[in-house]
Amino acid sequence: MAEEESQFEEFEQIDFLRDRHVRFFQRTLQVLPERYASLETTRLTIIFFALSGLDVLDALDMIDRNMMIEWIYSLQVLPTEDQSNLSRCGFRGSSHIGIPYTTKGPGVLHPYDSGHVAMTYTGLCSLLILGDDLSRVNKQACLAGLRALQLEDGSFYAVPEGSENDIRFIYCAASICYMLDDWSGMDIQKAIDYIRGSLSYDNGFGQGAGRESHGGWTYCAIASLCLMGRLEEALSQRELDRIRRWCIMRQQSGFHGRPNKPVDTCYSFWVGATLELLDVFQYTNFDRNRSFILSTQDRLVGGFAKWPDSHPDPLHAYLGLCGLSLIGEPSLRKVHPALNITQRAFQHLQQLQQTWRDSSGSCLRQH
Amino acid sequence: MAQAIKLTNDLTMSGVEETLNETVEVKEDNEFDGEVEDHPVDDYMADPTRYVFYRDRKDWADLEPVPQDDGPSPVVKIAYSEKFSDVYDYFRALLKNDERSERAFALTADAIELNAANYTVWHYRRVLLQALAKDLREEMRYITAIIEEQPKNYQVWHHRRMVVEWLNDPSEELEFIADILSQDAKNYHAWQHRQWVIQEYKLWESELEFVENLLEEDVRNNSAWNQRHFVISHTTGFSDAGVLDREIQYCLNQIRKAPHNESAWNYLKGMLQDRGLSTQPGLLEKVLELKETHCSPYLLAFLFDCYEDSLESSSQKENIDEEEQKISLKKALEICELLAQDKDTIRKEYWLFLGRSLKAKYGGGDGGTDALSEDPEASVPTSEPQELN
Repeated sequence: MAEEESQFEEFEQIDFLRDRHVRFFQRTLQVLPERYASLETTRLTIIFFALSGLDVLDALDMIDRNMMIEWIYSLQVLPTEDQSNLSRCGFRGSSHIGIPYTTKGPGVLHPYDSGHVAMTYTGLCSLLILGDDLSRVNKQACLAGLRALQLEDGSFYAVPEGSENDIRFIYCAASICYMLDDWSGMDIQKAIDYIRGSLSYDNGFGQGAGRESHGGWTYCAIASLCLMGRLEEALSQRELDRIRRWCIMRQQSGFHGRPNKPVDTCYSFWVGATLELLDVFQYTNFDRNRSFILSTQDRLVGGFAKWPDSHPDPLHAYLGLCGLSLIGEPSLRKVHPALNITQRAFQHLQQLQQTWRDSSGSCLRQH
Repeated sequence: MAQAIKLTNDLTMSGVEETLNETVEVKEDNEFDGEVEDHPVDDYMADPTRYVFYRDRKDWADLEPVPQDDGPSPVVKIAYSEKFSDVYDYFRALLKNDERSERAFALTADAIELNAANYTVWHYRRVLLQALAKDLREEMRYITAIIEEQPKNYQVWHHRRMVVEWLNDPSEELEFIADILSQDAKNYHAWQHRQWVIQEYKLWESELEFVENLLEEDVRNNSAWNQRHFVISHTTGFSDAGVLDREIQYCLNQIRKAPHNESAWNYLKGMLQDRGLSTQPGLLEKVLELKETHCSPYLLAFLFDCYEDSLESSSQKENIDEEEQKISLKKALEICELLAQDKDTIRKEYWLFLGRSLKAKYGGGDGGTDALSEDPEASVPTSEPQELN
C-alpha cells in the first residue's frame, strides 16, 4: 500500500477506493428506499449498472448468479399460447404491472404488459455478464417486439403502446440485434438515415433532427453505427474528423455533454467511449480526466456522483468506473466501448455466437 | 424535507431526468407516517382531509388488489410505504381488468403523484381520457402543473404533446415553454417540445426574436444558438447572401462581447464549413484582427480550419500554387503549436496529431516548415499511449 500511496502524492491523495465501490454496488442490488420510486419501471437498468460495475471491478464472485439470472428471466415478456402478443415481447423493467412471478412460458395475456427496448437491451447484457447462455431468451419474439417499435423515419419507440421516439432507442435496438446476432430486428438503412439526420451543424449529434448536439446522443449515434459495422459507410472521413473535433472539445477537465455546460462524470464514458471508437481517445488528457472523475468519488458510501460534493447514484458510479477503465486505471477490467460491457463479457458473447453459428443447421431451442 | 437524489436515466425513458442526469427533488414519505393506521372508513366523513387507504374505501371493495410479485429473491427491491403499495396494488388491479371508469381516472392522479415516471400509468390515463371523453382543457391545466414541478421527466412532456395533438391547439405552448425555460434555459425536454410545436404548427414567426432575447440574457446558451440555427435553416435558409452576411456579423459581434464562447464559434463554423470556410470575403482578416484582442482556443481552431480548408481547395485546383500552399501549411502548423503548447494545452496531443496529419498530407518533401518539435518520422498519425503513474 505504501508504494501506491507515494505514487499518488502528486494527485492530492485522490486514490481509487475500490472496496467502497464494490460495496456500493452490492447494496444497490439489495434494497433501495422509497425515494427511489421513480426508478421502479427501470429497475433492470439499475441491475445492469450494478452488475456491470462489479464486473469492471472484477468483483462478481460475491454475487449469487443463479438467483439473479432467474429474476431477470422472470422479466421476459414471452409469447402467449396463440402468439398474439409477439409485437409486445422483450423484457420488462420490473414487476410493476403485476404479472405473477414466473420464469417459464407460455406468456400470460395482459392488456398492458409489454417489453421496453432499454430493458431488453440491459436484460440481455446482464444475462451475459452473469455468464448465462441466453438459451431461455425467446430470440424470435424479442426481434418481433423490436420490429414493432421502429418508425418510418428510422427511430424507435421504447414501448409498443407508444412513447417518445429518438436516437437512444436506436442504440438499444442495435445492441439487441448485435447481441442476438440477428439484424432482422431493424431496418438498418432507415436507422442510419435517422442518425445522419441527427447530425448537427456543429458536428455533434442531437436526439433527432434539428436538436442540440449532446454527448450522450453522440455516443448513441456512433456506437450504433459501429455495432452495425457501417461507421465509414454512413459518415465521410471529413464528417468523422469534424465529429472527432466536436467530441474532443468536450474535455474541460473531465468532460461535459454540451458546449458551455458543466462537466459531469458520466460524460467521461459517453464522450470518452465515442472518442475511443473514433480512434482519438489517446489524444485526450488522461490525468485531468482522472482527477475530475475521482473528485466526484464518494469516499464514505462509494460510487461516483455527477459533480464533486454531490450524492452518488448507480449510473454515475458505473459510468465513472467505465471512464476510469478507458484511461487504463489499474485493477479495472477493460470495457467494450460500443456495447458497454466488459471485454470479458464480450468474449463470452462471442463464444456463444460461435456456438449458435456452428449449430445453425440444427433446431435451436426457443426457450 | 425534500431530498435531492440522482436518478439514473440514460437510455430509458423513465425517471425525472434531463436526458442523462440531473438532480430532482423527491418527497420523502415521512409526512404520511403514523397517520393512517387507526382510521376506519367511518372517520372519512368526519374528517375528509384524513387520508384513507384504497383498501378501506367502500367504493373500492369490489376490487381485489394485486401486489407486486418479485418472486423468492427480488433484486434492487424498492421498499415502498403502505400508502404507496396500496395505491399501486389497486392500480395493478384496474390494469388487469382494463377498467374504464372515473374512479380509475382519479386513481391515476394518485399514482402519478407517487411516481410520475411510471409510463404505464400515463398510458392508462390517456386511454381513460379518451374512453371517458374527459375535458382535455382541464388535462392541459393538470399537465402544466405537473411539468412545472417536474420539468425533467420524459413522460410528462410526452403526455403534454399527446394532449396538444388531440386538441390540435398549440396556442399555449410557446408561452408555457418560455416559462419553463425561464427556470432552466437549457432544459433539453423543453427545447425539444418547442421545436416540435413550431415545426408541427408552423409557428416560426416570433422565434428568432425569442432566441435573440435569450442570447441577450446569456450569450453562452448553447441551446439558444442551436435554436437560432433551427429557425433560420427552416425559414430563410443560409444560402441567401444577405442572411449569411447578417449571421456572420451577428456571430462576430457576440464574440467581441464574449470571446471565450464555443457556441458562437461553432455556429460561425457550422454555417460556413460547407460553403467555403476560407473563401468568405474579408472573414479571415477579421478573425486575424480578433486574434490580437479577443483570442481564444476556438478562434485559433477556426483559423486552423480556415487554413486547412484553403489547403484542401487549392490542392484540388488545376494549377496548384505551391508557394501559397506552403504558406498556408506553415500558418496552420504554427496554430497547432500555439494551441498545443500554450492556448489549449488540455488538447495538446490532439493538436500535435492534427499538425502531423496535415503535414503528412500537404507537406511534400520540405522539412523547413516543420514547426513541430515532435519526432519528424512520425508522419503516420499515431501517439504513444498515455501512462498513468
